[in-house]
Amino acid sequence: MPTPTFDFLAILRAFAEHEVDFLVVGGVCAVLHGAPLNTFDLDLVHARTPENVERLLQALHALDAYFREHGERRLRPDRSHLTSPGHQLLMTRAGPLDLLGAISGDRGYEELLPHTLPMKLGDDLQVRLLDLATLIAIKEETGRDKDQATLAILRRTLEEKEKK
Amino acid sequence: MAPNDRLISESLQDSGDADRPSHSADGVDLTLIRWMLSLTPLERLEVLQQHLRAVARLRDANPHL
Repeated sequence: MPTPTFDFLAILRAFAEHEVDFLVVGGVCAVLHGAPLNTFDLDLVHARTPENVERLLQALHALDAYFREHGERRLRPDRSHLTSPGHQLLMTRAGPLDLLGAISGDRGYEELLPHTLPMKLGDDLQVRLLDLATLIAIKEETGRDKDQATLAILRRTLEEKEKK
Repeated sequence: MAPNDRLISESLQDSGDADRPSHSADGVDLTLIRWMLSLTPLERLEVLQQHLRAVARLRDANPHL
């Protein structure tokens, strides 16, 4: 696979321009909260309503998105993929993008929305992301090695934020 | 000024962190967290993207890796 571009901001802008309802979760969410971590893809949970999936398809078309595990075959996500609770691992012209129908069991957009907050990225873009306490709780629940490795940093980041 | 240009040492001096511990009991570097928290969310995202692009450039520089 060729080295991807990493322009997560461009992906977020494309989603905002197409009025897609989505939440930032995962490593980029942690970084936006101030955790000094690296991550190589952008994890987003999207609303799976028919209207939102149509807007999402338009945004993905603008980003030239395709399934990254199929490489040169350039298979594109369709409605059936995006209405499922599964995880769609995509490559876009702006970098790797994981679209998650649900996380941590069956928690989708609607279930997670009460545990999110808005965050401005510059003057003209606002996104919603999981609050840090919920992100920590979800990583504790999943219990995967890669999540365990970041938990100490996330917990200390939350503590430092609360001191400010 | 790019976010990485704001040195961690400057951030520590500015915020009076020199008297606070640099690491937590479980070994987390708190200076990096305080530095990240001194940035705006957009700057934090730019830091991440700069790191990823640097890694990609290093990998591309050695095709045998």
